[in-house]
Amino acid sequence: MTLPLLSVKNLVVEFRTGEGIVRAVNNISFDIPHGKTIGIVGESGSGKSVTSLAVMGLLQKPAAVIPQGEIFFNGVDLLKCNENEMRKIRGNQISMIFQEPMTSLNPVFKVGEQIAEAIRIHKNVSNKVAWEKAVHLMNLVGIPNPSASAHKYPHEMSGGQKQRVMIAMAISCDPKLLIADEPTTALDVTIQKQVLELLHKLQQDLNMSMMFITHDLGVIGDIADDVVVMYRSNVVEQNNAQEIFTKAIHPYTKGLLACRPKLGANPRRLLTVSDFMTEEGVEKTVPVERIQIFDKESEVIKTDHVLLEIQNLVTQFPIKGGLFGRTVDHFKAVDDVSFKIKKGQTLGLVGESGCGKTTLGRSILRLVEPSAGKIIYDGKDITHVQHEELRLLRKKMQIIFQDPYSSLNPRMTIADILMEPLNIHNEGGTKAQRYEMARALLEKVGLKASLMNRYPHEFSGGQRQRICIARALMLRPEFVICDESVSALDVSIQAQVLNLLLDLQQEFGLTYVFISHDLSVVNFIADEVGVMYAGKIIEMDKASNIYKSAKTEYTRALLSAIPKGETKQSLASLV
Amino acid sequence: MTKYIIRRLLYMIPVLLGVSLIIFLLFNVVSGDPTAVLLGKNATARQMADLREQLGLNKSMFLQYIDVVKSAFTFDFGYSWATKQEISQMIKQGSYPSICLSVPAFVISTIISLFISVFVAYYRGKGIDLFVRVVCIAGMSISALAYILFFQWFFAYKLGWFEISGFEEGFPAFVPYIALPAIIWIVLSIGPDVRFFRTVILDEIYQDYVRTARSKGLSEMTILLRHVLRNAMIPIITYVVIQIPSLILGALLLENFFSIPGLGGITLNALNSSDFPVMKAMAILSSVGYIVFGLISDILYTVADPRIKFK
Amino acid sequence: MKQNSLWKDAFFRLAKDKLALFSLVIVLIYFLVALLSSMGLLASTWSQEVGASNLPPSLEHLFGTDIFGRSVLQKVIRGTQVAMSVGVAASIIAIPIGVLLGAFAGYFGGWIDDFVTWLYTTFSSVPNIMLLISITLILGKGIFAVYIALGATSWVTLCRLIRGEVMKHKEREYVQAAGAIGGGHMRKLFRHILPNVSHIIIINTSMQFQIAIKSEVILSYLGLGVQGEPSWGTMIDDAKLELVRGVWWQLAGATVAMFFILLAFNILSDALRDALDPKLKGK
Repeated sequence: MTLPLLSVKNLVVEFRTGEGIVRAVNNISFDIPHGKTIGIVGESGSGKSVTSLAVMGLLQKPAAVIPQGEIFFNGVDLLKCNENEMRKIRGNQISMIFQEPMTSLNPVFKVGEQIAEAIRIHKNVSNKVAWEKAVHLMNLVGIPNPSASAHKYPHEMSGGQKQRVMIAMAISCDPKLLIADEPTTALDVTIQKQVLELLHKLQQDLNMSMMFITHDLGVIGDIADDVVVMYRSNVVEQNNAQEIFTKAIHPYTKGLLACRPKLGANPRRLLTVSDFMTEEGVEKTVPVERIQIFDKESEVIKTDHVLLEIQNLVTQFPIKGGLFGRTVDHFKAVDDVSFKIKKGQTLGLVGESGCGKTTLGRSILRLVEPSAGKIIYDGKDITHVQHEELRLLRKKMQIIFQDPYSSLNPRMTIADILMEPLNIHNEGGTKAQRYEMARALLEKVGLKASLMNRYPHEFSGGQRQRICIARALMLRPEFVICDESVSALDVSIQAQVLNLLLDLQQEFGLTYVFISHDLSVVNFIADEVGVMYAGKIIEMDKASNIYKSAKTEYTRALLSAIPKGETKQSLASLV
Repeated sequence: MTKYIIRRLLYMIPVLLGVSLIIFLLFNVVSGDPTAVLLGKNATARQMADLREQLGLNKSMFLQYIDVVKSAFTFDFGYSWATKQEISQMIKQGSYPSICLSVPAFVISTIISLFISVFVAYYRGKGIDLFVRVVCIAGMSISALAYILFFQWFFAYKLGWFEISGFEEGFPAFVPYIALPAIIWIVLSIGPDVRFFRTVILDEIYQDYVRTARSKGLSEMTILLRHVLRNAMIPIITYVVIQIPSLILGALLLENFFSIPGLGGITLNALNSSDFPVMKAMAILSSVGYIVFGLISDILYTVADPRIKFK
Repeated sequence: MKQNSLWKDAFFRLAKDKLALFSLVIVLIYFLVALLSSMGLLASTWSQEVGASNLPPSLEHLFGTDIFGRSVLQKVIRGTQVAMSVGVAASIIAIPIGVLLGAFAGYFGGWIDDFVTWLYTTFSSVPNIMLLISITLILGKGIFAVYIALGATSWVTLCRLIRGEVMKHKEREYVQAAGAIGGGHMRKLFRHILPNVSHIIIINTSMQFQIAIKSEVILSYLGLGVQGEPSWGTMIDDAKLELVRGVWWQLAGATVAMFFILLAFNILSDALRDALDPKLKGK
């Protein structure tokens, strides 16, 4: 047996903070063999990125300390190398791609120059040769018209292209190991698929080893040979990918596998990590009814009452130009959109960033003024209602936003946040009664009532999203728009919030418009799905029909881009 | 880009009108009738009327305002009340000593500050960084007046290394006169400059692209000089260029202490003799300088930052 | 977990920074001295002769005496009162103007924004020192003119900062959410956005305060400031002629008094910025 390329042994990483020492990586070991891809999976804060930075020698000193462990690369312990020796390895033998392509490139240098720089320092070649190699690499990673594109600045490229530039830079010196830290998380699904395929192809062609870090087990299903699962700073399970997907042993891994909604059949409620293990990590048995596959077709449609109708809605934004910043043209963010939603149903709107789905959601609520068309709510045209009428409308129609970190006022307590809607509309009786209502609803969304006087920054992303949901429901609305409401959450948390939304829908008889870029999530939660592209709804049908027989090319592309993971077998194996 | 510059140029017009308005309001409206002060207590009504006519104070308020605006373009500011000289002539004479003092002092202090900031940014968090920060903050907390007084007394009076005051035209004749004020200028500006440059550079050091540069295997010095400084130069250029118009005023206090007959000296003399037209002229002149260099700094900004050109 | 508002958090972070806490104490002491002096409880006898002319510092006269035999220490204390009052007055004028104009411009945009932007661009286009000496000259020399002049110049930075920050926050989802639950413009602006940008007022005031003190000293030195009362600036002006005769203690007294308050404000401003808004560094 040959030595693995990279071998991490008993690694511990600690951070010295104002509050004391925090152990970010707790005694982990794993190997990366030559020419293989290892997926490292875990939720945010599980220590996976810290591990990769430790390998690169890029941990922020003196805050980060490695009190124990070894990282052997080609037989050399990287932890014993000094900065000069590490510099010769970084970018040359081990290179890295980061999550955020938008900020990872230097904004004031041409992209070709940034790729060439890596070649120049390690290969001792002339500027001209390095530049030509850079252009060649850009061609290799699939950037169109590479010799011209090399002269572009990062801001002139799309997110996907920037990530390709990062990849070109990373492979420029033919590294033996490529570390990819969530390289596709910030990208649209179709782009994600292309980047994944590119990485896989390059890994094969160049015979590199790859360390692929992600929070989403589904993403690496196709490309990883082995998988390492990290949970709260520890490695809880490692095995080859096939085994992980079919015979997961640790309850956390099982939970991760089960919590991602599938394109095909799903249980009525998604399984979550907490179905498999307790807070303390003790395994639980999953109640059988949770696993039962749910067939949407068999559910009877609850009512025929049309709650919301959109007719030929257009929302446009002015494009300023000319010398005096006059409006020279309009950009149609929402372009002639029409649909109906029946009471108690969920309409899913799916599309990639910039397709106008968010603007559509805000136009329906009149948070953005539509330019043409009609919004008819419960039989009443609300396109132009003003002042008091509009205010009353806010009681019936609500919205839950995407970013749980910015959608709560950081200077207000949870109690104040939840009671504010009641105060505005002067509802709910006395202050004590309002407080009581807020407390009850907070418990309903799964948070302890004792948290009422806390401030938003003391909560995790998933908890904050629950608070946002509670706020939206304080006025007992009939209609709620969920605008990418689970997109910023880790998959395991995402499942919990989706379940909560379903429970609340049943209990309060809510009608949802669910906006997301993720077709599998929309497919899980929605009765009907509209696919948006360039401001228009290009296809609309029952969720199951979209999945089975998509009519447009674009929808099919979206569908095929969804990471598959290993679905049916793993679900079956759990029973 | 061209469009941006043209728009920026056009925006100078309302700002210039606004500045003229402030100056007009101050010197023509709030200040009241200056003739009584100018002519003394025994002036006859006739004399006062003549003088008003002569100073253009009989014109309507609007026309007086137009005069202020006009002077911002023609630099024709009329005559000084105190010296009876033509003000534009006074300014011309005053510019030479002011420039002799301010330009070398400004250039040297900027270069030294940049050098120190890069140095401490490299050793950030270490003892030398802390030391420089403490010296900067402590230095900034001492009054400029105290520096000037002490340096003049100690180096010029006590040790006799420099001329105590005065000025002579022509290089190198002026050097002994401007050397000490220039040194004081440099000492005064290094504190705030280093503090600003250092924070700007450190702001950049924690950006994602620096992590990318490290992951490429670049050395810390290369990253600092090539990647970080190139980005930090964008706010630094703005900061430096915007200071240039204050060079026109010279160092008001320095010129005053060292009796250098520059623009700063002229301004303070005008202040002491309530010479409104000269004060007004200096206010307009320095404001025009601010506006013009504000424009230049904005244009340089777009040159330094490729992200802006294509907006 | 404790129940911590962001303000409390910030205070604890500040309290941990011993140097900042010490600076805060110094600032408070200066305020106290200024207050006692203005109430006539301290240094009320500054104008009386306490000894011979130009006595050097001694145990009896800690900072020595001036040419008229008056106590330099008492003059320094009166100067403290003048300096602190200028900082307070400038803040009282600048904060309402800067915050309201900046908030409305940032929130409503459109012609309001155009107007406010023009206004502060115009004000910042006249070099500060020219504006200061012009206003004090025109309004007639004296402490009141200094208040007005500093108020008129120091709202500009605050207004610009508040405007920019309000513009950013206006787009945040928590403000959108306030709109979605039926909150009007005033609720969004005053209940939601302003509390979230108010740390800027504190940081900026701390920085403007030292600028005000420095400006007062220079204006007083130029003879434009307080009349018939001692100020650090007039003391330095006196020292200009005294120094050659070896009388250094007026200069020293004023400079030392000024040094500690400026140093305290410098450190405090940095610490406040770090504690309240780490992102604002260097702006």
